[in-house]
Amino acid sequence: MSLLAQTQPMYWLPPDYSTHGWQIDQLINWMHVFMAVLFVGWGAFFTQCLVKYRYRRNPTALYEPIKAKASKVVEAAVVVIEVVLLVAFAIPVLAEYKNDPPKPEDNPFEVHVVAQQFAWNIHYPGPDGKFGKRNPKLVSDANSNPLGLDRDGDPDAKDDIVGNNEMHLPVGRPIIVKLTSKDVIHSFSVPMLRVKQDTVPGMEIPVWFTVKEGTSSDAIRETMIRTVAVPAAGANPRDFVLWCTNNIAVEDIKGSDGTVIVGKGREPSAEHLEALQKAGIGEIRVAPRHPVEIHCTQLCGITHYKMRGFVILMPPDEFETWYAEQAAGGDEFIEE
Amino acid sequence: MSGGHHHDHGGGHHGHEPALHGHHHEPGFIGKYLFSVDHKVIGVQYTVTALVFLLVGFSMMLIMRWQLARPGEAVPLVGSLLSQLGITHAQTKALTNEGYNMLGAMHGTIMVFLGVVPLAVGGFGNYVMPLQIGAKDMAFPKLNMMSYWVYLSGGIVMMASFWANGGAAQSGWTSYPPLANTALSGQTWWLVGMVLLITSSLLGSVNFIVTIMHLRAKGLSMWRLPFFVWAQFVTAFLLLLAFPPLEAAGVMQLMDRVAGTSFFMPEGLIVSDKPTAWTGGGSPLLWQHLFWFLAHPEVYVLILPAMGIVGEIIANNTRKPLWGYTTLVYSIIFLGFMSFIVWAHHMYMTGMGTALSTFFQATTMIISVPSVIILTCFIISLYGARIRYNTPMLFALAFLPMFAIGGLTGLPLGLAASDIHLHDTYYVIGHFHYVVAPGTIIALFAGIYYWFPKVTGRRMSEFLGKLHFWPTLIGMNMVFGPMFFVGIVGVQRRLWTQTDYQLGQMTQYWVVFSSVGAAVLGLGQLPFIWNFFSSIFAGRKAEQNAWEATTLEWAAAPSPPPHGNFLADPVVVCGPYEYSVPGSPKDYCPQCQTSEA
Repeated sequence: MSLLAQTQPMYWLPPDYSTHGWQIDQLINWMHVFMAVLFVGWGAFFTQCLVKYRYRRNPTALYEPIKAKASKVVEAAVVVIEVVLLVAFAIPVLAEYKNDPPKPEDNPFEVHVVAQQFAWNIHYPGPDGKFGKRNPKLVSDANSNPLGLDRDGDPDAKDDIVGNNEMHLPVGRPIIVKLTSKDVIHSFSVPMLRVKQDTVPGMEIPVWFTVKEGTSSDAIRETMIRTVAVPAAGANPRDFVLWCTNNIAVEDIKGSDGTVIVGKGREPSAEHLEALQKAGIGEIRVAPRHPVEIHCTQLCGITHYKMRGFVILMPPDEFETWYAEQAAGGDEFIEE
Repeated sequence: MSGGHHHDHGGGHHGHEPALHGHHHEPGFIGKYLFSVDHKVIGVQYTVTALVFLLVGFSMMLIMRWQLARPGEAVPLVGSLLSQLGITHAQTKALTNEGYNMLGAMHGTIMVFLGVVPLAVGGFGNYVMPLQIGAKDMAFPKLNMMSYWVYLSGGIVMMASFWANGGAAQSGWTSYPPLANTALSGQTWWLVGMVLLITSSLLGSVNFIVTIMHLRAKGLSMWRLPFFVWAQFVTAFLLLLAFPPLEAAGVMQLMDRVAGTSFFMPEGLIVSDKPTAWTGGGSPLLWQHLFWFLAHPEVYVLILPAMGIVGEIIANNTRKPLWGYTTLVYSIIFLGFMSFIVWAHHMYMTGMGTALSTFFQATTMIISVPSVIILTCFIISLYGARIRYNTPMLFALAFLPMFAIGGLTGLPLGLAASDIHLHDTYYVIGHFHYVVAPGTIIALFAGIYYWFPKVTGRRMSEFLGKLHFWPTLIGMNMVFGPMFFVGIVGVQRRLWTQTDYQLGQMTQYWVVFSSVGAAVLGLGQLPFIWNFFSSIFAGRKAEQNAWEATTLEWAAAPSPPPHGNFLADPVVVCGPYEYSVPGSPKDYCPQCQTSEA
């Protein structure tokens, strides 16, 4: 793709939909201000020296060391600023993130995530609120039992809901995610919720967060609509395919005779190109299917790059409906 | 270290081995150029081998950068060739995702363990350090030779692993278990290669320490040592103390893979959809602790020799003493100590508690202070200078702002709260590459241009040197600068392509820009390669003290130095950087009394 063809570029921190993320963002931003000031200060002195003390201009170099009080001031300032960043920002922010689990009276919603090469298994307790025991001996992807639940023998497991790569969550309610892995170390990362935690086999590690009230995946999608140019016939479709991958049309894309080429909610692809070109459509509007993505940030094997999941944020009432529907479906395995 | 004036060992007075050996009979061709015990020949062997590995590691990166900019498209030029090794797809000739992981793991391993460290320590340390301290050779010349050959064997094993069943190691240069434990046989080769490389470094480090302690010229007290020698001294201690835990860990992982042990494997592991019977009781995090206990000091093994080189070149080309020499020395000693207690800042996301992470955040902030001091000393050294803008000086000067960027961007990663967003993103890649490439490698280039006349007796071309400098500086910034922005957006590292991800799509333009930068950087190395080889034979003849320098390698040894280094034993009379002494006829006063040849 050409350098200038970037649609909807992003330059800095991505949007944040968690209630705690602003503190992380604030720390990152202040650190960069500090770094920039230091760098520009150094750079100004450095550049001045390079120009002023070049060989021809300065006939003799200074033997005696200069008394540089300024350097002591700079070094002291660096120490003070680092102490402030550490003590006033970094440690409290982390303590809040790590040491304050949601209290039972806040009605937290707990969900388990079991990572495996190369998928995220999402384990919900079902209506009884109890998680079934996961038995490694019963694990079988082939039999659609990736977690090793004993649906018949374990009463807690009967109503458990198991999802694959799609994690539905209610907004505005504290969420506890307990993380583990079946095979290698993965890392559960949701940049747009400012959450990251390695998943380590043999360990169960919790993270918790709350998604801002009033938001939802549908609302976020509306903010991420982009226009993608349809390439001329015979031109390289690379950019078009790239910008449409995992995106959906935000409206029906119709030809001149009114036939729908790409339906609303469908992913445009190279197959649609010919029809789009024939219809003389110059550009189409798309948006991410699921805008909030789960990344695996730890190298986990051959198709690490494909280990992507989604967090689907729902208003609480919508979530309850969805949850009840899933529970009614029994042990149905939710495919992406 | 204070009061180091009392022990002044004369280099030739102890009748150590090279003196006995070297002056009595000339070795034959094989003894002189191949299995040589002369530190200079070994230094050149290290340098040339390491430069070749740097080029190999860089070429791997070019292939990866092609894939990142043009996902799934045929690799130009070498696409067909690499399909033989399974690195590219047999039909499409595009880089496969296995191939990407192989090149990623091997790029890191090669650049750190086979390129930069051997060049900085094995190459520059071996060649320059004994000359700068007025020694006839290293304390243990045979150990020195063995160090090189073990290193070369390690390198050959690493490269041979591309022909192993399933190809080379694919688990990253960090080789985290259980992934590495269950990986294909390339990982076993990697471990064997690592054990050899570590052994080589250990042999080298004891030699450096003993040589600097015992073989200094008469009058050369510790506080008269050139800064470069101090940097090598601290580096040798880091190698000596940090590598053994990784050697142990490497052997343990090897045993896990071949002997059925389970040091790093927890119970209930599911492999290929079945629970394993052969795992249990081990801890995957143990490896990470052992690995980073080496790999953090390793960062300073890379950067300290680079700082040493920069110090020498800045003093020489500002024509004035280094500002704050004593402060610089204490700073690198302190850096060395601190580098052993920051390792777990690589592990904030493993589920570490806040008490432990508070400790490591505090030590990480503390270690940034000596780095700031070192940089400040170098920059203040420019004040009131008489700067000669020759090629070595350009590279040395470029090191300063580049290392500043690398160091500063370590701060947000060193605080666990900001690390939540930045950990394992491209921000990390940008950060450590600024330390290693535009930082360390730029300084190593400076060192090559600076000491080339000493080694060969001829100068490299200044014009070609500048033609190398500018595209290198610009190219490196084009490659690594954008990574900070890609990382801040939140794109994770080690992806075969990032275009499947929304955040990846939104930053893909930077990725393409980086790849263009890699091409600029690659083309920029052609003048260097030509300059390097042609100058050996046709470069302008260099006098003994080509840069009008003060230190012993220039002041007392011919260019190139003969076997045994000095025509007469140098006696040191002053500190290392007596430039522009008021009242002196010349603008430099050599460290020793012996007249120039």
